[in-house]
Amino acid sequence: MNVPIRALGIATSIFWILLIAFIALSAYSFKDLNFDLGEPQFTTAPDGQLLFSLPLYIDNRGYCSLKEFNLSTVFSDAEGAEISRANTFVPVIPRGENVTILHNVTLSMDSVLGNAGQYLFNDNNLTASVTAGLTVAELLPAQISTNFTFPWGAPFYNFALGQPSFEQFNITHSSVSVPMSFENHAAFDLAGNIRVELFDSVGSLLGESQTSFYVPQHSSYDGTLEFHVPLSAASFSAAHNGHFNVYFSTPLFEYGPLVIPYG
Amino acid sequence: MVEEKKKSKNIVKDVSFRVVKATLKAILVYLIYFLLAPMLAPLFGLIPGIMESIEAFVAVYIVLMILGDLTERTVFQYFFSTARALFFVAYLLLSMGNGVISTTYENFSLTVNLTLFYTIAVTLSLLGVASSILQAINFMSERAEATSGLQPPQKA
Repeated sequence: MNVPIRALGIATSIFWILLIAFIALSAYSFKDLNFDLGEPQFTTAPDGQLLFSLPLYIDNRGYCSLKEFNLSTVFSDAEGAEISRANTFVPVIPRGENVTILHNVTLSMDSVLGNAGQYLFNDNNLTASVTAGLTVAELLPAQISTNFTFPWGAPFYNFALGQPSFEQFNITHSSVSVPMSFENHAAFDLAGNIRVELFDSVGSLLGESQTSFYVPQHSSYDGTLEFHVPLSAASFSAAHNGHFNVYFSTPLFEYGPLVIPYG
Repeated sequence: MVEEKKKSKNIVKDVSFRVVKATLKAILVYLIYFLLAPMLAPLFGLIPGIMESIEAFVAVYIVLMILGDLTERTVFQYFFSTARALFFVAYLLLSMGNGVISTTYENFSLTVNLTLFYTIAVTLSLLGVASSILQAINFMSERAEATSGLQPPQKA
């Protein structure tokens, strides 16, 4: 009976040594793993989508290959409603290799603007939940997750229409000038068209004007809208207060009317 | 008289040998822990309370090891050996729960699934328990054979 007992003891010891060596090797593989994030980039697609690309550099200097690397990102608004979800899956990151992964998140402007256009005119914070999972040495699955706030810059921040100034154009018409300004706080250049309808105090449409614009990111826009409105004596007094209906049209989104009172 | 004196001298020699052996083994195990602990401290630092728990584990393990060595060539050696293996299983069960370790550092949450490692470690510990029990049975049967004067059947 001594021999089988001794054999059992020796076998157990060998398995213990292998197990401890494997764990130590896996732990040191983690130590020699380098993650680096590149500069995130925003690009716009004509179908109303905003593409957020995040380059991720993984340098696997460990002893083991990494398998099933999965990066998942969920963007949600300040109220916690999900805006976008994206996954990037890499089957194998071999040992000793440097891998660049491009994690793409598509943000649909319709879902961003779904909340009464508050993301169009006010800077805000989006919440990004990031989860990265991988399997070390084929046997040890590990997962790391974090939440961070992601600043959202409003493309029409501080959008304002000034007081209309009336000038006699001819006997029947008056020229109305309305100053318009906003700041593009978004991470992308903004190009499109703004159409404004001018209403008097009784809700009659007096005139309509539109302007095209191109505003690079993080810059402001100042312009003037010109209306030619027919003006009788009665409507002249009514036109000194009323409201504007503003319609925004860009390749990314359509929004309107935004009602702005004046007078 | 001379034989009795020789016998007691042998017992003293035997006990002192066991004490020296147990001390050396305990020092060796503690030295391994002492050298490894600073290397693993940054890793274990992420899990609150794990270092204290490992310290307590090493202390109990060394005590059981010393007792096992002091009671060498008696049946108690196997009792302590079994207790050591069972203690290891109990420690794994209590400290690792379902084998999934989760820890939070600042805004990051790390989850490592050690189920496979945990299963293999518990299986090996149970093999250790089985081995100790078999050794105890073997020891008792050999002693019974020796006291009864029976010898194992000779092969033809």
